[in-house]
Amino acid sequence: MAKEDSVLNLIKKRRSVRNYSEKKVSRNLFEELIEGAIWAPTGSNIQPWYFGIVDDEDMLERVINFSPGLLGSPPGIIVLCSDRKRAQEKGGELGRDLLCIMDISMAAQNIMLMATEKGLATCCVKSFNQKAINKLLGLPEHVQAELIISVGYTVKEPPRPSRRSKEEVSFFNKWSEADG
Amino acid sequence: MDKKEAVKFIAYLVTSARGCIEEPKIYGSFRLVDSAGKFYGALKKHGLIDDRDIDEIISMIDEKKYSCMFDEQEFIGMLDRVVDRLVDVTVSMEKSE
Repeated sequence: MAKEDSVLNLIKKRRSVRNYSEKKVSRNLFEELIEGAIWAPTGSNIQPWYFGIVDDEDMLERVINFSPGLLGSPPGIIVLCSDRKRAQEKGGELGRDLLCIMDISMAAQNIMLMATEKGLATCCVKSFNQKAINKLLGLPEHVQAELIISVGYTVKEPPRPSRRSKEEVSFFNKWSEADG
Repeated sequence: MDKKEAVKFIAYLVTSARGCIEEPKIYGSFRLVDSAGKFYGALKKHGLIDDRDIDEIISMIDEKKYSCMFDEQEFIGMLDRVVDRLVDVTVSMEKSE
């Protein structure tokens, strides 16, 4: 693998993008992103997720109306949904309340890294009205929108944000006074 | 302005109002200044106003509004500068009346 394609470089290259061109994302590309998503880790292999791809202009506009965090007019989005019923049946309360959210978050990261590798821009969004989105997408009661990822081609890449150093946020074996 | 545009703007405001109860505090500020831009954009689109001073103010907002996500001080600085500029505009309007 070329150095520029290394996993760490992709992780560092990913940005939360809030400006998109009108260029559409092909369904083939969306399907490739979902292929990455389904191989995310999942507690007890429950796979408590559904992925709704919205690329229809009218539906997209309706979703955006109730998603104040969806910025920059993306040409498409992926709505990551939880199946809490499946999560509870296979994973109990822990599965329903926590594990499904962790699994979906890991799937989201897979999507965003795959997108970065393919020259796509993304942004993970939680600022939306869940009930409104569930209704717009026609989701059954046990399936809920948990996260939205905007997907498209960026006009201008945002600058790299700051991060606390790995030395500051990690420790070996045991927390000590020096760890803050 | 047609119904579709009005519903779009109202939905943004009301959804934000509901969301901001649980979301990070700074999102409320962001939504307000973002709405200022949307409001002016709508007025301008329908030929109700086209003003250089307001264009400048909205540009100042748009340039830095997303900094609320990663640099709160930068965002606050922008708001302070915009308020300051708005004072200037307000005073200049009163003088010319």
